[in-house]
Amino acid sequence: MNMNDAPQRIRWGIVAFLIGLAILLSILDSTGRLEGALNFVRDPLAAILSWTTARTDGLLDALSGPRDLQEARLEIERLQARIDALERENEELREIQGEAQILLDLFNRARQSPELTRVTATVIGQNTTPGIRSIIIDKGQLDGVMVGMPVEAARGLVGRVFRATANSAQVILITDSSSAIPARLGTSRAAGILRGGGLGGSMVLEWLDLQYQLEVGEVVATSGLGGDFPQNIPIGRVTQVDRREAELFQRAIVQPAVDFDSLEIVFVITSFQRLDISVFSDVP
Amino acid sequence: MRVSVYLAVPLMLLLAVLETAVLSRLPLFNQTPQLPFLVALSWGLLRDLKEGVIWAFVGGILLDLFSVTPLGLTPLAWMVAIAISILIIRPLTSSRVILPTLVAALATILYLGLGMLLLRLFGYQVTSLVTAVLLPMAVLHALLILPIYWLMYLADRRLSPRRVQV
Repeated sequence: MNMNDAPQRIRWGIVAFLIGLAILLSILDSTGRLEGALNFVRDPLAAILSWTTARTDGLLDALSGPRDLQEARLEIERLQARIDALERENEELREIQGEAQILLDLFNRARQSPELTRVTATVIGQNTTPGIRSIIIDKGQLDGVMVGMPVEAARGLVGRVFRATANSAQVILITDSSSAIPARLGTSRAAGILRGGGLGGSMVLEWLDLQYQLEVGEVVATSGLGGDFPQNIPIGRVTQVDRREAELFQRAIVQPAVDFDSLEIVFVITSFQRLDISVFSDVP
Repeated sequence: MRVSVYLAVPLMLLLAVLETAVLSRLPLFNQTPQLPFLVALSWGLLRDLKEGVIWAFVGGILLDLFSVTPLGLTPLAWMVAIAISILIIRPLTSSRVILPTLVAALATILYLGLGMLLLRLFGYQVTSLVTAVLLPMAVLHALLILPIYWLMYLADRRLSPRRVQV
């Protein structure tokens, strides 16, 4: 590297400038100073993402049924042109059936807790950055979605809104390492803090008092403490108990109820009855 | 050089959308390869380190727009990893198979390590990342870069055909 050479100096100048620019952008964004400008860019990108995801889903659904495709091919040999129409109709009905099942599950979930106000949203993207677990949904501030709102699916809690633009929002999943949710066990009633495990997919319920006898298979749900999440939203089940008598607390490994890889439709809980703990914070 | 920079924006936008909407649903061996990263790396190997860094900047910024990480963090990790790995490996070999494979493996390890360090600096908790992802991602990227490098080589030949003296 001969730095006396003018083109070399320009080259390294550009590299240094871009690295400096990236550092500056990171600092500005993490302090929230780019929010307005970025939301302006993110909205059209979310529209592109939504369109691409819809096409991808259609393609994946078609590829996921090879046996039916083989049957369809045999029929094509026998019935030629007519079967093309039947195959198309079959695929459409299958997709509708899948969507109907998802909507039925969501409806049943909504019926279990009618006191919560929800907005239905479609998952249009997933973060692929290693170590970060988040999704992008197609509802934003114009639909009443705000930062911090809980997000659930038919089977249980998904996460909370991390960032919201006018027409889309980023949701940080409960399995992300930065996630910490007050939770309670269904049978033993022990309460603790549920932390995301990051890549493993499972979570850890910590700070559980040793007086409770935990059991594998116990249901874990939100406790509602802290007021950030409603009570009794299912989260998952205990798969392993880590109890050491020498320690002050025990912990449990929790498998989430939601399959985050196949999430298509979610609920954003826009309003719920928070536990009122303000009376305890008053200084006499 | 100018044409390649203009090409970087639409190509990286396309790759960022593909990465977020399509590849995220089709993981390979439980890992999602970072396609824009591999394309920027290949371009840096084929053309010039500076161009690879510019492509990494554009691709990283676009990918960060779909991510919860602070804008600029991914391109920062990519640029540093690409620059260091090319500088280290390029003098060792000129083979069109060994060079991209080694650079991809080293750049991936550097990018993930630096990325995690930066995430921690910005207050994100990433714990088991190194052990769980580093090696499989490095191997996956080292394999995947070969077809990508070849495609980028063809694109490079089209953009700037070599002069031959007769």
